[in-house]
Amino acid sequence: MTRLPETFSALGDTTRFAIVERLLNEGELSAGDLQAVADISAPAISRHLKVLRNAGVINQRVDKQRRLYTVEPKAIMGINAWIEYHRKFWETSLDRLAKALKKKEKDDG
Amino acid sequence: MAELTVNRVLDADLATVFDFITKSEHLLEWWGPEGISLPDRELDFTKTGPWHSVMRRPDGSEMKVSGQVTHVKAPSSVGFTWAWHDETGKRGDESHVTISLRAAAGGGTEFSLHHQELVSEEAAAAHNAGWTSSVRKLEKMAAREEQESV
Repeated sequence: MTRLPETFSALGDTTRFAIVERLLNEGELSAGDLQAVADISAPAISRHLKVLRNAGVINQRVDKQRRLYTVEPKAIMGINAWIEYHRKFWETSLDRLAKALKKKEKDDG
Repeated sequence: MAELTVNRVLDADLATVFDFITKSEHLLEWWGPEGISLPDRELDFTKTGPWHSVMRRPDGSEMKVSGQVTHVKAPSSVGFTWAWHDETGKRGDESHVTISLRAAAGGGTEFSLHHQELVSEEAAAAHNAGWTSSVRKLEKMAAREEQESV
């Protein structure tokens, strides 16, 4: 849960978001393959890939001369954890709210 | 990106439910999971301004959450920011909660709570561009990976 802000901020850029989308749709790709997502230079793509890696959103492996990238599912699980944690918090609170309202009705009646 | 909605129909009229979600004496009856106590809190959603609550679990551990009440519109809506504090007291990332109420057709009150992680406009745009379907794909991948690692 602690890395969630980093995940959000890494994905909050349209080029980086496009990179993650392509990796999701097509699986493992090289930096060269990913350059086609936007009209930008190879160094610019490298910078975006580095931001995504530092945020834990993508993984890199080296195959001979090539660097290959995949999406890290745990980054997305972090978003799920945030949602589930807060859903549970509110659901349990609302059970108590419903009870408190019932009690009031009984007391008034 | 991370957001959730909780809907309920509550068995009380609109004005009563609004009292229960804004007035301190009522908030104390239901705020937080069963079994917690609130040793330190400023919970008053009848007016804008700061709020906080320290929730103590039965095992004695505590968690603190705080924010600002951003709007109060009787009897239909209240909004506030929300952030957990870590063990050193440092306030974490901010999110936003909106509670909306409406008289239900068959009596009672429709309650809807929307809790949303605050993100930049750019991130919101990316979200609209198809984030949801991507999340589903990733969830499937994650589930598969978990199965494989078992």
